[in-house]
Amino acid sequence: MSDRSDNMPRCPFSLDRRRFLQGLGATGTGIAMAGLSTSAWARSCPADDMPDTDPEVTSAPTSTATTDAYPFHGTHQQGIVTPRPANGMIVACDVLARDRDGLEQLLRTLTERIAFLTRGGTYPQGDPRYPPADSGILGPTIAPDGLTVTVSLGASLFDARFGLADVKPRHLQRMTGFPNDALDPSRCHGDMSLQICAHTHDTTVHALRDILKHTPGGLMVRWKQEGTVPVMSPSDTGPTPSARNYLGFRDGTANPDTADTALMDALVWTGHDSEEPAWTRGGSYQVVRLIRNFVERWDRAPLAEQEAIFGRCKDSGAPLAGGTEYDIPDYSDDPDGQVTPLDAHIRLANPRTPGFEKHRILRRPFNYSNAVEANGQLDMGLLFIVYQADLEAGFITVQKRLNGEPLEEYIKPVGGGYFFTLPGVIDENDFLGRGLLEAAASHA
Amino acid sequence: MSPRSLFLAASAFGLMTLQGTVQADVATEALVEPVADYKLYVLDNLDRFVTHTQDFTQAVEAGDLARAQSLYAPTRVYYERIEPIAELFADLDASIDAREDDYEKGVEDPDFTGFHRLEYGLFEQRTTQGFAPYAKRLMADVNDLEARVQGLTFPPATVVGGAAALMEEVAATKVSGEEDRYSHTDLWDFQGNVDGSQKIFELFKPLVIDEDPAFVERVEENFAAVEETLAHYRQDADDPTSGFVSYEQVSDEDRRAFVGPVNLLAEDLSTLRGKLGL
Repeated sequence: MSDRSDNMPRCPFSLDRRRFLQGLGATGTGIAMAGLSTSAWARSCPADDMPDTDPEVTSAPTSTATTDAYPFHGTHQQGIVTPRPANGMIVACDVLARDRDGLEQLLRTLTERIAFLTRGGTYPQGDPRYPPADSGILGPTIAPDGLTVTVSLGASLFDARFGLADVKPRHLQRMTGFPNDALDPSRCHGDMSLQICAHTHDTTVHALRDILKHTPGGLMVRWKQEGTVPVMSPSDTGPTPSARNYLGFRDGTANPDTADTALMDALVWTGHDSEEPAWTRGGSYQVVRLIRNFVERWDRAPLAEQEAIFGRCKDSGAPLAGGTEYDIPDYSDDPDGQVTPLDAHIRLANPRTPGFEKHRILRRPFNYSNAVEANGQLDMGLLFIVYQADLEAGFITVQKRLNGEPLEEYIKPVGGGYFFTLPGVIDENDFLGRGLLEAAASHA
Repeated sequence: MSPRSLFLAASAFGLMTLQGTVQADVATEALVEPVADYKLYVLDNLDRFVTHTQDFTQAVEAGDLARAQSLYAPTRVYYERIEPIAELFADLDASIDAREDDYEKGVEDPDFTGFHRLEYGLFEQRTTQGFAPYAKRLMADVNDLEARVQGLTFPPATVVGGAAALMEEVAATKVSGEEDRYSHTDLWDFQGNVDGSQKIFELFKPLVIDEDPAFVERVEENFAAVEETLAHYRQDADDPTSGFVSYEQVSDEDRRAFVGPVNLLAEDLSTLRGKLGL
C-alpha cells in the first residue's frame, strides 16, 4: 500500500516528532492491535428456532392476517380501493435527486422495494462486520401483513429541477389554505407522498425504514403522520358498519363503492379527461389533510348539538331523518332544514341534488393521536385522505361548500397537501412513474 | 422476489455491498500505518485546539466580547475534526461540548458548561460578565483532554468507524442548525466534521480502492458535492481558511442539497469497517 522505504509513520504536520514519539511511548505503537484477527468476530448467534421447553417470554399478540398480500402489479396502485387496514401513515418527502436520471433511479428503487415489501420474503444474510441489510424489526423474514405503499407526487416536483412542467397533471397544485385552516408550514406539502398502510403499525414503520435506508440520496422526510382505525367485528346480518373518528361519529358512511369499477373509473381514476396528459391514466388525485379535533371541547358539547352539526345520529350513524347508516339521506321533504340543518356537515358535503354525483370523493382516513399541546389538551384528530379523478370537482368543490360549517368550531386543519398518485406498475419491466418520465422525454 | 432482483433493488443507489461473497480480509499489519498517521493528525489538531482555546478563554476572561465572539467558531473546528477520539472521554465531551438540550433545566442547569455555555453568554446574552469561571473550566478540560489522548491507545475500529460517526454528527445536528443555535456558526463545525471524516477516508482509501473502486469514487463524489455547497458560504470564496457566513443565510434549497450527499456518505462510510475486516 505504500512505497515508502522507512518504517516511521509519515508526519505531515508541523508537529514535534519527539513529542509524537513520546505520545506513542506509553502504548508502543499507540495502536490497539489486540482482538483484530477476524476470527475474533465469528458469530455464534443461533438461527431463530423454536425452543424445546416452555418459553419464558413476554407474550406477543397473534394474528392470522399477517399473510394477507395485495398484488403489487396492476393498472392502479394499491392503497386506494384496497380495503383499509387498521394502520396507515402519510410520509411527505422532498426529493433530493439532482436531475431526471436521479429521479428515475429513485422511482425504480421505490418500485423494487415496494414490490418486495408488499410480497414479503427473507433478507439476505450478510457479513456481520457490515451493517445488516435490514432494520430487522420484523425479524429476518417479513410477512406482507396487508401492506400497501402508495406513491404520489406533489406539484413542487414539477418545478424546474426535473423538466416535468409540461406534463404536470392538469389540476395538480400547491394546497392553499381554506378560511378555517391554520396551516403549519412544517406539516404541509412535499415533492412526494408515501401512503403506507398495513394491519399492524410495526409493519408500516418497517416499510418506511426499509425505503429510507435504500434512498439516502433520493428522499428527505419532510413530515409524517401516523394514524389508526378501530377494528370492527364483521356483522352477521349485513354490511360491516363504518369505523368511527375521534369525534365519535362513523366516518366512511356513504363512501363510493370501491367494488363498482365503473363508479371508480368515473370518480377515482384519472384519465377520462382528454385535457389530462395521457400518462396520468390510472392515477388519482390524493388530498391529505391533518385535521386537529378539539376533543375536550367536543366532549363537552350536548349530544343533540353534535348530531345536528354532523347531520347523523351518533350511535347508529343513521341520517337524522331516521333509518340506518346505509340509507341515503333524502332532503327533498326538508327544504328548510327542520330535520337536518342546512349547514349540517353531511348535507353541505353532499346535498344529494341532481348532478352532484360527480363531486363525490373516495375517503380513506385514519385517526391520529400525537403528543399534548402546551395547554394540556390532547393533540388528536383526523388524518384525512381522499382520492378523486379530478381535484377541482372533488375535494376543492366539496371543501368550499363546507367553509363556515358549524363543525369548524371543533376542528382545525393544520397540515397536508395535494398530490397525484402515480398509475400502477403493470409488470416486472415497468416502474413507478415510467409513463411520466417517457412523456417528459418526448416533450423535450 | 428473487435474490437477483432483491440485489438490484438494494444496489439502486449503489449502497448495499454484495456482502460476504467478495470479502477479502485486510491484513492487520496494513492498518498500523494509517492508524498511526491518524494519531498524528489527532495530536496535531489537539495541539492547535489547546492554543486556540487559550486565546479564546483569555478573551472571555479579559472581558473582550468582540474578540471572544470572533474566536468561538475557529477554536471549535479542531474539536469537531477529532470528535471520534474526543468522544471516547464521555465526561470531558459533556463538559466541553454538551448543548443545553442535554440538561433538563437547559441553560439554568449548573452542570451546563463548556463551549455552548459560553456561546450562550457571548451570542445570546452578549456578555462576558460572569463567564470567567466557565472559561477557566473549559481550558482545564481541554488540557485534560490533550493529556488523556496523548496516552490513548487508538482502537482501529473506532478510528475507521469515526469516518461514518462524523457524518452522523453532520446529519443529526449540523444540517438542522441546532449545534450552534446562538452563534449560527454551524458551518464551521460542519466543515470540521467533514474534514475529520475525509481525513480518515483518505488514510484508509489505499486499503479498499482495489477491492471496491466504485465505492471510493462514490465517496469522493459526495465529499466533493458537500464541499461545493459549503464553498458557496465561505466569507471569502477564494480562501478556504476564511470561515463561513451565518447558518441563517443558508437557503432551504442548500440545506436540502447537503442532506443527500451527507446521507449517502453516512451510508457508504458505515461499510468502511466491514471492508477493512473490523
